Amino acid sequence: MHLIAFGDNPLGHVVDKAIIGGENPIFVDTASATPYLTMHMVSLVVAGLIFIMLMLYVGKRIATGRETEGNDRYLTTGRFAQMIEVIILYMRDTAIHPVLGDENTKKYLPFLMALFFFILTCNVIGLIPMMDVQYLGSGIMGSELEWAFFGGTATSNLAVTAALAAICFIVIQVHAFRELGIKGWLGHLTGGAPLYMLPIMLPVELMGMLIKPSALAVRLFANMVAGHTLMAMLALFGKMAYGGLGVGGLLGISAISIVSAVAIGFLELFVAFLQAFIFMFLTTVFISQMSHHHEDHHEEFEEGLTEYSEVPAT
Amino acid sequence: MLALLLAASDGDPNPLNVDLAPAITALIVFGLVCLVFFTKVWPAIGKGLDDRQAKIRQEIEAAEQAQAEARASMDRQQEELAKARAEANEMISQAKADAEASAQDLRDRAQKELNELRENASREIRAAKEAAITELHAESAALATAIASRILQREINAQDQQSLIDESLRELETVRNG
Repeated sequence: MHLIAFGDNPLGHVVDKAIIGGENPIFVDTASATPYLTMHMVSLVVAGLIFIMLMLYVGKRIATGRETEGNDRYLTTGRFAQMIEVIILYMRDTAIHPVLGDENTKKYLPFLMALFFFILTCNVIGLIPMMDVQYLGSGIMGSELEWAFFGGTATSNLAVTAALAAICFIVIQVHAFRELGIKGWLGHLTGGAPLYMLPIMLPVELMGMLIKPSALAVRLFANMVAGHTLMAMLALFGKMAYGGLGVGGLLGISAISIVSAVAIGFLELFVAFLQAFIFMFLTTVFISQMSHHHEDHHEEFEEGLTEYSEVPAT
Repeated sequence: MLALLLAASDGDPNPLNVDLAPAITALIVFGLVCLVFFTKVWPAIGKGLDDRQAKIRQEIEAAEQAQAEARASMDRQQEELAKARAEANEMISQAKADAEASAQDLRDRAQKELNELRENASREIRAAKEAAITELHAESAALATAIASRILQREINAQDQQSLIDESLRELETVRNG
């Protein structure tokens, strides 16, 4: 964590930094009102490249082999590919298929998996302190300019999560139009209420339509910012102790804050998976809400509740 | 967190600042990622998973069919075994009955032969007895004739007569015992 470069504010570690353009770019000469290239943009490109390379590798490992391999051609080789396959199957069978049903699962599974793994890649890359390594490198090399071109968590940028949520919004609405038609889509906006309730229902449903993807964006952004801010905060304690108590304070407080940061690091890793899953799963739910058989699912769910409620208490 | 965000509004780094460039980059990168994923990755993954699922389903069905056939075959074998056991028991019973019948037959024949032998023996004994009596009669007659001829050849007194009679009786006894 390069906290020295960003003063005592832990948010300095989390926010995007301009490389070209913007207010304080690394290349000072390129300063402008809006940034043209930022660290999160580079991180996004790197995450995209890593995602594509890993997924091409995984695809090759999961794909059915040649007939000469016999029954082994059906096996997935390599632990990483097996792990990805397990994740895909788990999410397909326990999260997506029960919500979307056969047809829509087949249709949207590739998109949902791309969404999940892309967000996960961004989240996990953000856990690697690449930015700090570059600052350290620039310091060791005696560069006057503190430079870092890549690092940080792209999903801790509200613009990035909003863009991803916008894609989900488009997918959900396109699905709704195709599945329900214009009439069905408009009917969905009234929520089945009588016509005189339309002035209330229409704005509420329209707002809900926008709030749902907005909530996706804010949830992912807030979780990523919060986690990294907490990590930066723990790291700052050492610096604060050094300022107030000297070397003894630095050693004492750092020991505690490092142990805490390691523990929070594991929590962050879990959150990286969890938030990617939540983003993907809520998109799945929103798609299913715009499907014909949504009502059926609702009834099945209620029937299920009734069945469970009939089980005698022991 | 809120305090930090509010404090950040004074010119400090603010994560709530939204720039268009990262958003556009995210759209382009995710678009490209989806393009590659949909065209190159997912077809391979989807086909691999579908093929494996089909293979597993096929193997399970084949195994179930083989199990059903094995069960049917086992049932048939058990049925045949039971039938064979019943036939064996029937054969054993038949054999026992045959053996008893044979033994009875043998016993009957033996009894019959024994009776025949016994009758033959009785018949032979009777014949021998009759022959012996006939011979005895002949011998007695011959002896009487001899006695009479002796009487005729000399004069005998009472004592001689008695001794002749005793002697004749002894001879008769000897003939009968012999």
